[in-house]
Amino acid sequence: MNTLAAAPPIIVATTALLALMAGLFPQRLVRREGPTVIAIVGMLVAAVMSILLWGNRIVALGGGYRIDHLSVLFNLIFIGCAVITLLLSVNESSGVDRRGEYAALVTTATAGMILVAGAGDLIMIFLGIEILSVALYVLCALELWRERSLESGLKYLIVGAVGSSFLLYGLAFLFGTTGSVNLTKIGASLTQASFNTEPLLWIAVTLIIVGLGFKASAAPFHMWTPDVYEGAPTPVTAFMATATKAVAFVAFLRIFAGPLIDIVHTWQIAIGVVAAVSIIIGNVAALVQTNLKRMLAYSSIAQAGYLLIGVAAGTVQGAQAVLFYLLAYAAMTLAAFAVVIIREREVDNGEDLASFSGYGRARPFLGGIMTLAMLSLAGFPPLSGFIGKFLLFGAAAEQHLWWLAVIGALGSVISLGYYLRVVGVMWFGAAGDPEPRKLLNVSSPVTLSTAACGVAILGFAAFAGPLLTVCQQAAMSLLSP
Amino acid sequence: MPWLTIIIVIPLLAALAMFIVPEGDVGTARLVAALGAGLTLVMSVLMLANFHRDFPGPQFVDHAGWATQVGLDWIVWVDGISIWLIMLTTGLFAIAVAYLCFRTPDRPRAFLALIMLAEMGLLGLFSSGNLVLFYVFWELMLVPFYFMIGMWGGAGRKLASIKFVIYTMVGSLLMLVSIVATAVIAHGITGVYTFDIVALRNVDYTRPESIWLLAGFLLAFVIKLPLWPFHGWLPDAYRESPIVVVALLAAVVSKAGVYGLLRIGLPLFPRGMAYFQYPIILLALVSIVYGSLVAWRQPTMRMLVGYSSLAHLGFIALGIAAIDPQAAQGAVLQMVNHGVVVVAAFAIVGIIATRTGKEDIDDIGGLAARAPWLSGIFLVVTMASLAIPGSNSFAGEFFILSGTFRHDWWAAAIAMIGVVYASVYMLRLYQSSMNGPARGGDPRRVELRVRDVVVLVPLIAVMLFIALWPQVLAGASSASVNAAVAPAQVAVGRPPSEIRSVVLPNPLPATVSSASGVTGGASQ
Repeated sequence: MNTLAAAPPIIVATTALLALMAGLFPQRLVRREGPTVIAIVGMLVAAVMSILLWGNRIVALGGGYRIDHLSVLFNLIFIGCAVITLLLSVNESSGVDRRGEYAALVTTATAGMILVAGAGDLIMIFLGIEILSVALYVLCALELWRERSLESGLKYLIVGAVGSSFLLYGLAFLFGTTGSVNLTKIGASLTQASFNTEPLLWIAVTLIIVGLGFKASAAPFHMWTPDVYEGAPTPVTAFMATATKAVAFVAFLRIFAGPLIDIVHTWQIAIGVVAAVSIIIGNVAALVQTNLKRMLAYSSIAQAGYLLIGVAAGTVQGAQAVLFYLLAYAAMTLAAFAVVIIREREVDNGEDLASFSGYGRARPFLGGIMTLAMLSLAGFPPLSGFIGKFLLFGAAAEQHLWWLAVIGALGSVISLGYYLRVVGVMWFGAAGDPEPRKLLNVSSPVTLSTAACGVAILGFAAFAGPLLTVCQQAAMSLLSP
Repeated sequence: MPWLTIIIVIPLLAALAMFIVPEGDVGTARLVAALGAGLTLVMSVLMLANFHRDFPGPQFVDHAGWATQVGLDWIVWVDGISIWLIMLTTGLFAIAVAYLCFRTPDRPRAFLALIMLAEMGLLGLFSSGNLVLFYVFWELMLVPFYFMIGMWGGAGRKLASIKFVIYTMVGSLLMLVSIVATAVIAHGITGVYTFDIVALRNVDYTRPESIWLLAGFLLAFVIKLPLWPFHGWLPDAYRESPIVVVALLAAVVSKAGVYGLLRIGLPLFPRGMAYFQYPIILLALVSIVYGSLVAWRQPTMRMLVGYSSLAHLGFIALGIAAIDPQAAQGAVLQMVNHGVVVVAAFAIVGIIATRTGKEDIDDIGGLAARAPWLSGIFLVVTMASLAIPGSNSFAGEFFILSGTFRHDWWAAAIAMIGVVYASVYMLRLYQSSMNGPARGGDPRRVELRVRDVVVLVPLIAVMLFIALWPQVLAGASSASVNAAVAPAQVAVGRPPSEIRSVVLPNPLPATVSSASGVTGGASQ
């Protein structure tokens, strides 16, 4: 039974190996399609496995890994993002020989994420984050012939290593303070903690916030984000912006909303300040971007700020809001990147905002999806982004963090400046592109996944009721050790 | 029968149906829009026929869950105030669609779909019985207007559309924070976590709480209205938008701000309204004087009517800020009157502008000689706009002024100046365009045609009807208006003789609540 609980990460890790091997096959057809198909099928099996485990609470691997509502929900988020990323990269122009590596690396990263989501102790959190980080360093630099891609990989490697060391240091301090790496035991010892351990705890908390702040690309630890996002292959960027960010937040929740919930006063202000700074810096810097990938990078910094509001609240409502917003955020961000990916294949400068001039009229479907994504990111009701923001502000208000809610609202106003600019360029701009428009026939998996993201933006809002019940159960599972 | 839900959903269906209409098939697109707007109008008339005029509370309540665990519900209802705004919306949108069917814009499918979406947003706004739903529709109607200004506007449309949205969103996102805060704080006082407008009425907040909570809402309302100095979006939006959009903005969208004051400001935050009473009165007075003066000097017809609308909205805001049942009654009456009159004025401006190709007042003159019908109808509209006794606006403005005079005679006195100015600028517009020597264009082309009559005659008929029987509107809304104003009257300490409705404390004292169960909220 205990091994069964560890099935999702094991399946995904095995899939990664299989995908890698499929990429080495002599037949060209297998080399071309095999890795992607194997990776998607394997991850879907893991997803089904996770769904079957819904409702169970199982501890496996000697307390290092556990299955509960939260980990299942995050498994689904990660696998969903990974599958859509793989679908979006179908027919990517990069060499066929690289397919095996690509699919295997995405799958490996997913396996690492799944470990973090189900982490029962500090070691597993760090291990999972490192597994996915190493995979992502390579993924960023996958387009070896592009200097930007290499630069992106190198930058991410250096900054990622710095972030990881902060995190490790913080986790070590937490271990030193409480005498245990097990999250449940840490929580138990903190409830009866005497106050003389507090300075150590402060250091631990600060270092962990910094370390995870790097991973979540929250300001002021965000400097790497625009360059890395811009340089990496766009599907990889989409994966990083959604799944990797979700990992950082599941780690935040596992540590802060779990064992550290009783000492909320030590970290609430710190996380609140990081959230506020992220919202302000992300939104203001995004205003002046002309490259869509950079703009989305800054937007993702701001979105990390909104998500941190929910973490800072330090309540079940806060965690629930984070979970719902992560779902919505993944759908909107993937939708936006999907359209950029398609446009990049049509024209050379497809990531420039200028190349989208009049795009809405030329391709109403893709323009519509992009519009939906932008409006939802900006928080227009009744889209899912709005419901997420509403819940986050509500969670902040409940803890009387009024200033955070107000900064969040003002940040949303600023964000209109760039989100609506995209919409404006697409629909109000002149279609008079100097070069003849290259409107490719987009392959069906790409269209399908783009449409799926659009449907998700609407669907999450329409079925917010049942979805919130799921999120609430997941959030509750953080508290019960 | 879920009247309101049907009324809200029909325009949405019409908008969605535009996706199926083949591109370039203008006829079908027109038919779909006309059917959508027409059916909505018919349904709302039928609803009005079934309306209980003396009942002050919510009627036609539709309730369904959405995300109930966080307080999101689909709850819509009307009372004596909102029913008239819904009638105004359905009526004016039907007229706008009729206007558009005869003068099809380019890309008609998209434009008509957006018009239908805007109608849905406004209808939802005027009927929502839940603060979050109110916010959802408040924002929802912004999106179609953004696209209509941005895609069909004039040369400066990009700037105008973004200005319009950002101005409005500054207010509305703070309103979202206020909405959340209202529920949280009310939870601490009443023990119920809810966004239901009825259940949140007259909650016993402390004075600072009431003031701060209202402040978040108020900014959104005065920007939407707009009141001076929050009207920065108005000149650009009015100058650049298609005339139909300008008419709808002035006639219906602006009412959302007033409606917010009446539906949320007065009943939910009476102490806050007492605090903000004089600031609002002051802004309203400045808007009246400023709007009138600026209207007087506007070079183009549409901007003149646009700024006159700013002045008229100042009147309406004054009627509400006076915290007097009679003044508020006048404000409700005037909301409908102003909507009808300003649409008629913009329709005439639109007709003259499209036929002569000119919008500058100085370029147009002497139309009356060759276009007597047009000039006759324009005269009726002009007289209604300056609220001459016997016109429909007279009753409304009279109520507002006399209600205000009772407690703040000076405010009424200053507002009177607005009435005088109205005749200055409206008569300037009428005289220079209709009388005098003919200037530019062929005046005969301007004469009303069947397509114009279809648009104008219903408006004139409504004006005449209200002029002759204002008590139809006033009577059916007075119970609701009295109930809305009463908490604020208590808060500013009006004598009990003036308070025409029972004000229940919220939360009710334990002994009372068990007996009556009024806190439960929306029940027919």
